[in-house]
Amino acid sequence: MAEIRIKNLHKEFGVGSDKVVALEDVNLDITGHSFVSIVGPSGCGKSTLLNILTGIETPTNGTVEITSDGHVAAPGYVFQAARLLPWRTVTDNLMFVQEDRSDDTKKRCQRYLEMVQLGDKGDKFPGELSGGMQQRVGIARAFSIEPDVLFMDEPFSHLDAITARALRRELHHMWDETKKMVVFVTHDVGEAVELSNRILVFAKGGRLEDDIQIDLPFPRDPADDEVAVAKAHVLRKFEELDLLAS
Amino acid sequence: MTTTDTTTVETPSAPRVTEEELARRARRSELTSRWFWRILSYIAVLAIWEFALLDIFSFLRGSPLDPKLLPGPSEVVSTFFEIWGEGTMPAAFQATLTRIAVGFGLSFLIGAMIGILMQSKWFEGFFKDAVLISLSAPGLIWVLITAIIFGNRPLGPTIAIILTTFALVTVNVSEGIKALPKDLLDMAKSFRVSVFKRNRQIVIPHLAPYLFTGLRFGFSIAWKVTVLTEVFSSSEGIGFEMRISAVLFDMSEFLTWILAFFFFALFLEKVVLEAIERRYFRWRQAVTAT
Repeated sequence: MAEIRIKNLHKEFGVGSDKVVALEDVNLDITGHSFVSIVGPSGCGKSTLLNILTGIETPTNGTVEITSDGHVAAPGYVFQAARLLPWRTVTDNLMFVQEDRSDDTKKRCQRYLEMVQLGDKGDKFPGELSGGMQQRVGIARAFSIEPDVLFMDEPFSHLDAITARALRRELHHMWDETKKMVVFVTHDVGEAVELSNRILVFAKGGRLEDDIQIDLPFPRDPADDEVAVAKAHVLRKFEELDLLAS
Repeated sequence: MTTTDTTTVETPSAPRVTEEELARRARRSELTSRWFWRILSYIAVLAIWEFALLDIFSFLRGSPLDPKLLPGPSEVVSTFFEIWGEGTMPAAFQATLTRIAVGFGLSFLIGAMIGILMQSKWFEGFFKDAVLISLSAPGLIWVLITAIIFGNRPLGPTIAIILTTFALVTVNVSEGIKALPKDLLDMAKSFRVSVFKRNRQIVIPHLAPYLFTGLRFGFSIAWKVTVLTEVFSSSEGIGFEMRISAVLFDMSEFLTWILAFFFFALFLEKVVLEAIERRYFRWRQAVTAT
């Protein structure tokens, strides 16, 4: 079971008068089969937090531990853009991130392609697919290495509403089926409420302002009363933070 | 786009096939009509040359032109087979092509190396103007200089080729490196893909089209420069044969060499280079087809 432990995490950029605090004393535990969304206004440090979790940046202070049953956890990533190699077929794009080229690995890749409804598109090049399909390949790629934790950075923000909705449904389904931990960064509160069982609200200046559990059953329909109430609650939190900031 | 996408989620591919088929048919008919016009242009040029050009030139000169000085295509073709039978043609081509291969091979290596070095600020300053001069100076300058200095020694054409073509490779390599896809490299890094695999599967495929463009343009210039050096200062090769027939006022033979030259260039361009392009850059066609 995967576990993320963040203790006294602090991150600053620049020195002297140019100093900007991106994250301020963040303490956080995430365990098991959670779907955690990180939301907040621009400049609240959510991308910085993700970059620290994924090892792209190092913290100024504090510690981050990502483990799975006592070992260092294997992470998977889905980016804002699909980031596929345009000169490799869909299947080869999945194979690119694998450690070996055994038949088992190939079968596993094919299985995840089928899970994102692209089982018959393995021989296509990314340029032959629509934006939504490309993003699906990116999701299949992240799942195909069977990571302990999946980090997703606004993966649907470039897509049109209908495609994004279909993909959210698929993602939820895959999360449910594979029992992986997902850490999901988004600026879309509706999306966060629809997908997560926990929402972390960050305020400007990188403070973790609220930690909201959402125990509604899946699948969640945005038109559903309880879902709408939960969304309104998070949005209100946002507005309060905005008022405090200004 | 959106609607097609969501339909495929529920009903896999049934309406898609016909769409693709329609697109393929449209492409095919466009291709056929393009070829039709292309072939028509050849027929038109050859017909005018064979039946009317002598009269047109005679009229423009104000006096009748000796038919020996302007043989028609039928005569040129028969001379072509005559020369081919004598065996001089393969030998001349071999001499010319060897020169190109050696000269342009070296030029490609030197050009690529300078392109890599130019990623550093200092080397960029050092090479920048040299590259610019090589790009803009007419090849004829180097041909004449090397002819004067080296006479008919084989080093002359080699140096002329290097000086006229290295910059094309340099510019392309340098641009390719500047445009390296950082997002893909970061992606690979975060998935813990090894450096070797990152270079093999991201850096090289990314640079390939740039190298290929350098190769293609560089080669077309190398080809012209080589023939020019042969016209001025060689004792074998296509350019040399052209000079001999021009000196002897043997127009039919001169045109035969031009014809052979033209066919060979066309063969390289249309068959060899396009085959390479189809084989290695299939993904690009996939991008433009949709």
